[in-house]
Amino acid sequence: MSEFSIVGKRAERKDVRSKVLGKALYAGDLYRPGMLHGKALRSEYPHARIISIDTSRAEKLPGVHAVMTHKDIPGINRFGLAILDQPVLADDKVRRMGDAVALVAAETVEIAEEAIRLIKVEYEELPAYFTVEAALAEDALPIHEGGNLLQHTKLRKGNVEEGFAQSDIIVENVYQTQRVDHAYIEPETSVAELDHEGNLTVWSSTQYPFRDRRQIAPVVNMPSNKVRVIQMTTGGAFGGKDDITTEIQAALLAVKTGRPVKVVWSRQESMVCSTKRHPMKIFIKTGATRDGMLMAMEGKIYSDKGAYCSIGHFITKKAGLHLSGPYHIPHIKVDTYAVYTNNTICGPYRGFGILQASFAHESQMDLLAEKLGMSPLEIRLKNALKVGLSNATGQVFEHSVGFYETLKRAEEYMKTHPLEGGVE
Amino acid sequence: MKKLKLIVNDVVYELETRPERRLLDVLRDELHLTGTKEGCSEGECGACTVLIDGKPADSCLVLVGQVDGCHITTIEGLSDGNELHTLQQAFIKAGAVQCGYCTPGMILSAKAVLDQNPNPSEEEIRKGLSGNLCRCTGYQKIVDAVRLAAGELSAKTGKGGGN
Repeated sequence: MSEFSIVGKRAERKDVRSKVLGKALYAGDLYRPGMLHGKALRSEYPHARIISIDTSRAEKLPGVHAVMTHKDIPGINRFGLAILDQPVLADDKVRRMGDAVALVAAETVEIAEEAIRLIKVEYEELPAYFTVEAALAEDALPIHEGGNLLQHTKLRKGNVEEGFAQSDIIVENVYQTQRVDHAYIEPETSVAELDHEGNLTVWSSTQYPFRDRRQIAPVVNMPSNKVRVIQMTTGGAFGGKDDITTEIQAALLAVKTGRPVKVVWSRQESMVCSTKRHPMKIFIKTGATRDGMLMAMEGKIYSDKGAYCSIGHFITKKAGLHLSGPYHIPHIKVDTYAVYTNNTICGPYRGFGILQASFAHESQMDLLAEKLGMSPLEIRLKNALKVGLSNATGQVFEHSVGFYETLKRAEEYMKTHPLEGGVE
Repeated sequence: MKKLKLIVNDVVYELETRPERRLLDVLRDELHLTGTKEGCSEGECGACTVLIDGKPADSCLVLVGQVDGCHITTIEGLSDGNELHTLQQAFIKAGAVQCGYCTPGMILSAKAVLDQNPNPSEEEIRKGLSGNLCRCTGYQKIVDAVRLAAGELSAKTGKGGGN
């Protein structure tokens, strides 16, 4: 084995000393002179038209510096990582529990919370759809103008009918996964400030400063070169801080008040308002020969996007591209459907859709092995992708695929390290 | 407003503040000791753990009026200038730190474990850290760090051999 300069060596994180000392600066650790605190009023309904918003009582509360609704946004009232489908502050309607309807900046968090309680919103409830089936029903109202089917992606390789005809055994099942929160210990936090030259700085707990800037600038109606986003030490993200969270809310309030503004989401807001892992309903049919060679796989994946896209159409498509797993299958047909519902938004979460697909294809492998009287390891070794074989999209691996060797190493290890309690 | 005395990391603070403020807010907003973190605001995550008269507590659930006259230890009080506490060194050595947000609370809970029992079993360490959540590192390396620190502290004081 060749010697690497870093791989296989112990390395110390360069920020670790500041972290064990409690000196690492997270966004919430910033205190700017004259800093105000921002809070958002959240929608009480999963799907409702907004009839009126009355902010007059909140505006009169001592200590309140700004109350904003969609009418007070200087630029566009939309953001989104891939598609601009999410309002910064709800205008015509709300599409999920937790859509921001109004913003307040005040001297203290307590005053901001009190002001939020004084805002009156009149809603007209609309039917809400909490499953992909309900959202795709013919008589369902569109949650967005373009309808509730955000994207359908087709994947075709070979001829599945032929593949199933050549199979001696076919296993067909439906797998369902649930919505999951990232639950990073540091909640979403940003501090925004306009300087004396009119430059806007946003210090944030985020994953992508440049993507944040791209989405903040048009909302505050400033050119990108006047907006600076600085990622502070970030207390966990796992995909959940890919999207805009507190950045635009802090920026809008800082521009409106001319004062630095800190926005920290409560744990409840984090649970309700941030993106989640997509729940997926996966229909999968896998065919194999008597000696365990995979011949065909046909699948359909319905992913519950929640109310906005984030980058969920990519994630849904990716789940489909990986539904065959790390195995060579000559005939594949997969259809994926990303569907808007009135649930919490789903977006990136470690694995990017592949985790949901893995649950389905690995369960299928175990079931096939069981029915064929073969060990779960053997069926995987037989079908493992190797150099020269093609994956689901037809890409032929030319250099290396580590899967087969990894399985062999795991086999060796398990022979000498029996699992506690044994394996059934 | 009420006059209160807090002894934080051996420094005496005479404060005039609302006694119903959370200890966490007083430490962060008034004393600027931002090493103590807020994660859940309801005593579930342990990120805001401090020691009150040596005992670990979630500072988000303590009103400052309740700790008038008490000794409070925060993460800032562990190191001696640039000299890291044995636990801080052990967390670095064992790779027990990733995002770092749970680290201050985790280290203080670990200190409470070792102050009470210099040679704890793995189960006692896990029990002592059960009020602190971590989402990045996983708990094994954190437990390893505490064991490492226990061994080194015992070696220093000559009591027991650690494990």
